[in-house]
Amino acid sequence: MELRWKHLAIALTIFPVAIIVFAWIGFFNIGASTGHWKVTEWLLHSAMRTAVKTYALLEVDAPAQLPRHDIGPAAGHFARGCAICHGAPGELVSPSAQRMLPPPPDLTEKVGEWNDAELFWIVKYGVRFTGMPAWPTQARDDEVWAMVAFLRELPGMSAQSYRALSLGQSGRLEISPRGFANAIAECSRCHGRDGLKAGGLVPIIAGQKEGYLLASLRSYADRERRSGIMALPISALDPAVFPDVARHFSRQPSRLRQIMPDEDDRSDGARIVFGGAPDRAIPSCFGCHGNTAIRNETYPDIAGQDEHYIANQLRLFRAAARGGGQNAHLMHKSAERLSDADINALAAFLGALAAKNATPTAAQR
Amino acid sequence: MAAISESSGILTAVSKPLRTNQEGNRPLLHGLWSLEVDISDRSKNIVAASNRPTNSKCIYQCRCIILFLGLALWGCSGQQSALEPSGEEAASVAQLFWAMLGGGAVIWLGLMALLATAIRGKLGPIDNRAATQLVFWGGAVLPSAALVGLLGYALWLMPGLRPFANSGAPQVIIEVTGRQFWWDVIYRLPGGVQFRTANEIVLPVGQRVEFSLKSTDVIHSFWIPSLAGKVDMIPGRTNRLSLVATKEGRFRGPCAEYCGTSHALMAVEVTSLPVQEFALWTERRKQPSPGVFAPGSELFEKHGCGSCHRVEGTSAASRFGPDLSHLGSRNTLGAGILPNTPETISSFIVRPDAIKPGTHMPAFDMLPPDDIRSIAVWLKGLE
Repeated sequence: MELRWKHLAIALTIFPVAIIVFAWIGFFNIGASTGHWKVTEWLLHSAMRTAVKTYALLEVDAPAQLPRHDIGPAAGHFARGCAICHGAPGELVSPSAQRMLPPPPDLTEKVGEWNDAELFWIVKYGVRFTGMPAWPTQARDDEVWAMVAFLRELPGMSAQSYRALSLGQSGRLEISPRGFANAIAECSRCHGRDGLKAGGLVPIIAGQKEGYLLASLRSYADRERRSGIMALPISALDPAVFPDVARHFSRQPSRLRQIMPDEDDRSDGARIVFGGAPDRAIPSCFGCHGNTAIRNETYPDIAGQDEHYIANQLRLFRAAARGGGQNAHLMHKSAERLSDADINALAAFLGALAAKNATPTAAQR
Repeated sequence: MAAISESSGILTAVSKPLRTNQEGNRPLLHGLWSLEVDISDRSKNIVAASNRPTNSKCIYQCRCIILFLGLALWGCSGQQSALEPSGEEAASVAQLFWAMLGGGAVIWLGLMALLATAIRGKLGPIDNRAATQLVFWGGAVLPSAALVGLLGYALWLMPGLRPFANSGAPQVIIEVTGRQFWWDVIYRLPGGVQFRTANEIVLPVGQRVEFSLKSTDVIHSFWIPSLAGKVDMIPGRTNRLSLVATKEGRFRGPCAEYCGTSHALMAVEVTSLPVQEFALWTERRKQPSPGVFAPGSELFEKHGCGSCHRVEGTSAASRFGPDLSHLGSRNTLGAGILPNTPETISSFIVRPDAIKPGTHMPAFDMLPPDDIRSIAVWLKGLE
């Protein structure tokens, strides 16, 4: 009896050492071609499933409604960042991706197995040991939710509508967009060839200040302005084309500044736009963003910008999560005291001009 | 009353005899010196009488004590002193202070005399009845009488410190709003004339002025020690303060209630002028500064300074930050903390938080230095 206990103790001591020695010598086959042992696969997979469910439950507050209006840029990002492994409607998965371990799942089959919070958690944080990367920035939950909204639509999506959504007016995806024309084609997938396509994640860039557009491109490239969706195309572009791209879109017929807001408007939004809220330490928007010809080139036009985009950016500024050029700190200070009601009022007031402006611009062209 | 509580009784006890020797604004040390000589002479007499060998040591100690008190007393004069009043209200406050100090001194001397007598034991044992009498008269009646007397005097002074009922409509109403960390000032003159400035107050000598005191963020306190007592500025409330400046001069009013990181960097500069000069000053303030057309104004507009600031005669019209309409003619910059020069204005624009921690103004160090310099020169030219 005494002898057996002794054997057990020796075995327990030697076993971990033996494993380490085994691995150190290099006897583990780490090749992907043969797959996992069944037990390893079961262990990893079930651990992943329960971990995602647990962390989603603890950490994620799903919005009542997914941002369906933002699935365009999410689709654009999917085409560049995700489809290469997961495939997409009408597109085959790359054979090399199929031989990953584990093989990336076909999302049209799998998204139904997860709820919104769980999808959000997987997309934002990625999955260890699988090759599933985290979202390129951890500061943009709004983008991740847009991706979740897109994933919900994916199972029923036709190849045609997927192409329309992800390639937009460009009609093609340049993996390595060298030169000015290819750069414009890449931008046009989400922004439209005319720079007028807009939504919660995509601003109207047509007619925007050239200095501001250039500063924005550079700050995306420097990762100071954080965006998972912009990170992919911006890193594929040659920075030498940034000035030409900025000039191109700044010269497109715009819906910005076409009709300036009415100073006699008594709405909450108009009051903050023109006079700020001095007693609540909120400056006026138009002190910097007003329609003066001499304005600082790096202060953007906001009159007529997309309503959802303005609201989203103000929320990011308020949380100091919106980087940018060298002026971003001005907006952090300005937005830190805005209430949700203020943000909605400002967005509604400035955004309402976009609709009014649509008509004269169409007539111009 | 509040003014008195800020001062230390022991220092001011010596300052009265000093002050009576003084004329106008002669340096305090002069008075101190004469007092010192005076006391040393007296101590020499005492020394001579008692014929003790330690006389030089005693003189040295006296000199040390007086020098120390003198250094401390130096702080009691100047443009921020309740003990050098230049207004009716401040004079009442100072008068009340001296009266209370005198009363306190008499009580203290009496008590010390009693203590000395008791220690020497010359009274001998006293019986129960005498002890009860002593406690009754010395412990109850005398303090009550002294306190009632002082209270009566303070109450008698009070209408002079809060002269709203019988003073009629004031000539000038000044609305001052405490902000973190500066003062928003609006003048309301007879005839509905009004104009705005910041961090400076100019008053007519001999005319009653009413202050309307407000705050939009936290509690501040408005206190010009040389002119009147202290009144808190409380969010959601309007407090009133009425005062008359009796002398021309320049004074300083610190924020007297802790209001945040830069509380100590928040003061208002106050100038009292003869009535005619005050009228001229208001005339100039009603107009835009002639300097607004100088080069630099377009840069002020270009970089969005008008989002927060107002400059009369330009498109900048925000009420959020300090009004800069006549910035160049102010003596100080940043609410009484810096000399007002193009250099200090530039450094404030570049890094306001380095000069005034916790300020709402963001740093503009990303602007071209030439632009900042031009804006600073233009602002200094707004006289």
